[in-house]
Amino acid sequence: MALQSFKIAWKAIAANKMRSFLTMLGIIIGVLALVVLVSLVTSATSAVTDSIESMGNDMLTVAVLDDKGNPIKLKDMDDIAGDESIALTTPILQLNGTAKVGNETYDVSVEGTNSAYFSIEGSELAAGRFLKTADLDNVSHVAVVSYEAAEDAFGIDSAAGARDVVGQTALLNGRKFLVVGVLAEDESIMAAMMSSNAVYIPFTTAERMSDSGSGISQFYAAAKDSESVDRAEQALTEALTSRFRGDEDAFRILNQNTLADTMSDVTNIFALLLGGIAAISLLVGGIGIMNIMLVSVTERTREIGIRKAIGARRAGIMLQFIIEALVICLIGCTIGVAASGGIVTLVSAAMPDMTFSLSGGVIVVAVLFSTAIGLLFGLYPARKAAGMNPIDALRYE
Amino acid sequence: MIEFNDVSKLYETDGETIHALDHVSMSIEKGEFVGVTGSSGSGKSTMMHIMGCLDAVTSGVYLLEGQPIENYSENELAEIRNRKIGFIFQNFNLLNRMTIEENVELPLIYRGVRSAERRRLVGEALGQVGLSDRRKHTPNSVSGGQQQRAAIARAIVTDPALILADEPTGNLDSRTGTDIMTLFSELNAAGRTIVLITHDAGVAAQTHRIVRLADGHIEEDSKETKNGAAIF
Repeated sequence: MALQSFKIAWKAIAANKMRSFLTMLGIIIGVLALVVLVSLVTSATSAVTDSIESMGNDMLTVAVLDDKGNPIKLKDMDDIAGDESIALTTPILQLNGTAKVGNETYDVSVEGTNSAYFSIEGSELAAGRFLKTADLDNVSHVAVVSYEAAEDAFGIDSAAGARDVVGQTALLNGRKFLVVGVLAEDESIMAAMMSSNAVYIPFTTAERMSDSGSGISQFYAAAKDSESVDRAEQALTEALTSRFRGDEDAFRILNQNTLADTMSDVTNIFALLLGGIAAISLLVGGIGIMNIMLVSVTERTREIGIRKAIGARRAGIMLQFIIEALVICLIGCTIGVAASGGIVTLVSAAMPDMTFSLSGGVIVVAVLFSTAIGLLFGLYPARKAAGMNPIDALRYE
Repeated sequence: MIEFNDVSKLYETDGETIHALDHVSMSIEKGEFVGVTGSSGSGKSTMMHIMGCLDAVTSGVYLLEGQPIENYSENELAEIRNRKIGFIFQNFNLLNRMTIEENVELPLIYRGVRSAERRRLVGEALGQVGLSDRRKHTPNSVSGGQQQRAAIARAIVTDPALILADEPTGNLDSRTGTDIMTLFSELNAAGRTIVLITHDAGVAAQTHRIVRLADGHIEEDSKETKNGAAIF
């Protein structure tokens, strides 16, 4: 019976191809909007959170807000980060600066740090070497530049060009620095978003160039592994609280996990919002289907009369029209999902920095939603058809 | 086979009561070929609707194969129509989107007959009306006479107790009409009970018994006169 109803529905749809297609269009556009928008947001979210995690979800950022006249020195770091849950620490001193190469000046961000920084960040070299402990001890004027900064200032366009940059000099805030290393290009989405024109110099050198006095006001700490992050955070909190005489407001510890969580919370809200708007357009498509189904029922009054005269039951007629609405919805949904796949592929091709893919979850939602709409908006016309009096229906011209 | 016991049917239109059938009693035996005739408004359509279980009586009893048809639910009536009655209409009432074969198959689908059995029964019915070579055509692509043959095949495919034909030759030219009447005679000769509703005296004369209605009454029933044909 259901198979027969399906065949009958298919014939009715095929008999009015243009009208069926226009009816489907509402569903196609609704599904398209839902699937594409949610897929794009979900893909972007996972790209961003992946990128945050690749920066090390085992990383903690510590900022000292008030050193109580007792600034943290490099040699104090072993005490503060003595807990076994902490693998590495690296101080960070950020300076705004200009780099002068030849006659051109460039805005760069100068980071005073040490060798551990590159391990924590997972940086790789395109050429040369990282900073060494000796550079800090000697307060050397040496610099490791990011690939982006080397591109800007030295005009390189490949990793091979990076080799020529090593050994050149640049003026950073008026002081002459020797370039000893160039980092490999960072292709992650976060790097693309933050366009890091960074130049890394020894922490001790940066300390002397800074106006804000000596001492470590910011450092990164890497936990032994991602499980020990919470323990590392607690150990640091205890160490710093005791150092700053019980004042927990003197410093702040930022957990990378918290950042990733916040980020995905925000994007989830986005996905929900966009999905909601798309769902409304699907609903509008459903109303279009009901409208056409009502027209179709009226048009086929005579057919309904004939079917009833030769023995169709109420349920048989209802099933026929509900299946018709359902088939329209599901064909529309299939076309919509297929078109979404095409659009997402196009967007991926247009934005090579990011990978977009169809989100399986939203496809399931789209199919369920389309089915629900077919049932919901097919029900009233189908009831109307099934409730017809066969005598009146047969007389209908 | 068919029995009307004091059957009345009233319609309310704009506060006015119309007696479409007014205390009608009659019976039709198995194997009869009856022509119901009368002018428009005489109640013959109402009689057909009641015979065909499309409509219920207001008072009195209608018995089909000894079963009173009243107080049945819509679905039960649908089932009775499906099993016991074959309808044939003036304008054929075939579904134009389907082939002739599929049209004939439809009542069997609603009855829940299996596919292989359906094919066999449809083949038999189409053979009886001489339409086997047109089975794959749609109704629109064959002549009016062939469409009516298809409709007859659809009516007999379920082997119903009663065939109800409402002006079956009304939309056909006289030659094709005669062919169709011949087909009815053949079906009747094979033992089928046929009730044919027509306003055409010539068509009615080809049946074996004529019931003439006027204003909801049976004005004349040839079974009760000595010479039925003499009425006209």
